[in-house]
Amino acid sequence: MTFLDLARKNAWRKPLRTALLVICIAVAFLIYGLTASFVNGSQGASGASDDILGVMSAAGRTQPLPISYMNRIEGDPDVAALNYMIRLRGFVVAEKNVVSVSAVDPQRVMEVSGKELGLTPQLLDALNLQRDKVLVGRALADAQGLQVGQNITVTGFDLARQDGSRNWSFGIAGIFDGENASTDTYFMLGRYDYLNAARARNRDTVDAFVVRPKVSASAGELAVRIDQMFANSAAPTRTQSEKQFLEAFLRQYADVGLIVDLVVSAAFITLLMIVINTMVFAVRERTFEIGVLKALGFSGMQVMLLVLGETLFVFAVGGSIGLVLAKLLVAISDPALGLVFSMPVLAKALAIIAFLGLATGALPAFNALRTPVIVAFRGR
Amino acid sequence: MTSSLNHDPYISLSKITKGYKISGDDVPIFSNLDLEIPGGDFVAIMGPSGSGKSTLLNMLAGIDRPDTGSLRIGTSRLDQMSEAARASWRAHFMGIIFQFYNLLPMLNVAENVELPLLLKPLSAKERRSRVEKVLDLVGLTGRARQYPKLMSGGQQQRVGIARAIVSDPALLLCDEPTGDLDRKSADEVLEMLRFLNRELGKTIIMVTHDPQAALYAKRTLHLDKGNFVEERRAAL
Repeated sequence: MTFLDLARKNAWRKPLRTALLVICIAVAFLIYGLTASFVNGSQGASGASDDILGVMSAAGRTQPLPISYMNRIEGDPDVAALNYMIRLRGFVVAEKNVVSVSAVDPQRVMEVSGKELGLTPQLLDALNLQRDKVLVGRALADAQGLQVGQNITVTGFDLARQDGSRNWSFGIAGIFDGENASTDTYFMLGRYDYLNAARARNRDTVDAFVVRPKVSASAGELAVRIDQMFANSAAPTRTQSEKQFLEAFLRQYADVGLIVDLVVSAAFITLLMIVINTMVFAVRERTFEIGVLKALGFSGMQVMLLVLGETLFVFAVGGSIGLVLAKLLVAISDPALGLVFSMPVLAKALAIIAFLGLATGALPAFNALRTPVIVAFRGR
Repeated sequence: MTSSLNHDPYISLSKITKGYKISGDDVPIFSNLDLEIPGGDFVAIMGPSGSGKSTLLNMLAGIDRPDTGSLRIGTSRLDQMSEAARASWRAHFMGIIFQFYNLLPMLNVAENVELPLLLKPLSAKERRSRVEKVLDLVGLTGRARQYPKLMSGGQQQRVGIARAIVSDPALLLCDEPTGDLDRKSADEVLEMLRFLNRELGKTIIMVTHDPQAALYAKRTLHLDKGNFVEERRAAL
């Protein structure tokens, strides 16, 4: 038997009470696991880079920028690579199958985002084969059952062709997986020259430039310089990191992060109160036994650690169950939800388990530490 | 091992005073109490309720402190030690046997006996070996995995004795060890205490109300109103 065994046996001495506590904790961590996976994954913000910069029109993300800006931006000595893009948003077959195509220069997208998107030379060659080829992100392909070799038609919400139609035909040339699970792959990569040549309006403009600064450069300072370059032009720019952009984009609809933080905080504060209350009573019930342990030679500190070990044990069991359930639900969830249960989510959850385990045990443990043996013996 | 009564005082109480505050009033328990007990002795302490027996035992166990005076056991001055130091002293030098056994219900017999050994730097194998040895000594071989609630009072008290001696302390303090037992079980427990005193040389202080239990001790001290009023020595 070890101290941990003793703490464990103490925790399970009232199985129903402990089981209810474990369920309560498991549910709280299930909520946390799912909401954190949502924030982490669906926003794509966790996989988004703080260094890669997006240059858009200051008048709004739907306003175009002249492609001629490219040469001036590339002239900055801190720019390592630059790409430009048009966004085509629309649906495939049915309106519920919403997709987004980023029409880019294949060679430039490889230089700027090739690593993050998991692009290989083979995928690049496939995209270069014909102007109407697209590469589909893994999450989108899985969600909509898209396969290599398939021909699809994307009906654009806004972008019209010169013939007035909004139907854009593509052939799927490959699927890219992204660098890791948190990379946003719920979109397609198409070719700029194809969309630019066929579209009805705004030819030779772009929706955004994507800039990769040099390693030694400060992305923040470069962003300021780029915006200064065009401050007095007809189309001023607004430059943000990829992460800032994605977060700002989502905040247009709702501050998801804040909502999630509020929900999770409410769950954890409720949990904290329930467990503290239960543990205080559980330890008070055992005051006499605490006296016995101290009479046998256990120090106040050792008894305190036993109580803390008990709450940590309950949190470890409940938290683990909740996180395993969250992981399983994320694994079987619709990829369109974009849930990503990544290592940072797990690490943060484990830190919360440890913190709550200690925080909820602190008060009863301190009471156990302070209880004199004589007083404890009167408790029978 | 045969009994060897060491006449150097192993336990020495000098000018001990102790009182409690009850409803704001000072209630003295001891004033200038002196007591010397040599190592290897087996002393029964008797007296009416409120005479201070339990208070004395608590002070000897280091779970209560005298208000003034000196309390020495072996080379340790308990009256001058901190709470943590007294806990450590208890873990190493003293075993305690309670009237109601006070076994932890969620632990089986072996785990209850092993408890004090968790405080010592012993390997799991060494702890197991010691537990087996003392369970054998108290006649509970084969019951290691049983839980206390399934045992009789006499058997539970044997577990309590095994727990008290497993760390091989020199001093055993017994608080009414037969108070909850029938005569037959009580005699078995008292025989065991006598064995521990005579054969293993343990110094035993036993608080009891039972005159027959006191007959097992080498001497009996009668406590009344905080003073020893009578001493009886058993015929050796």
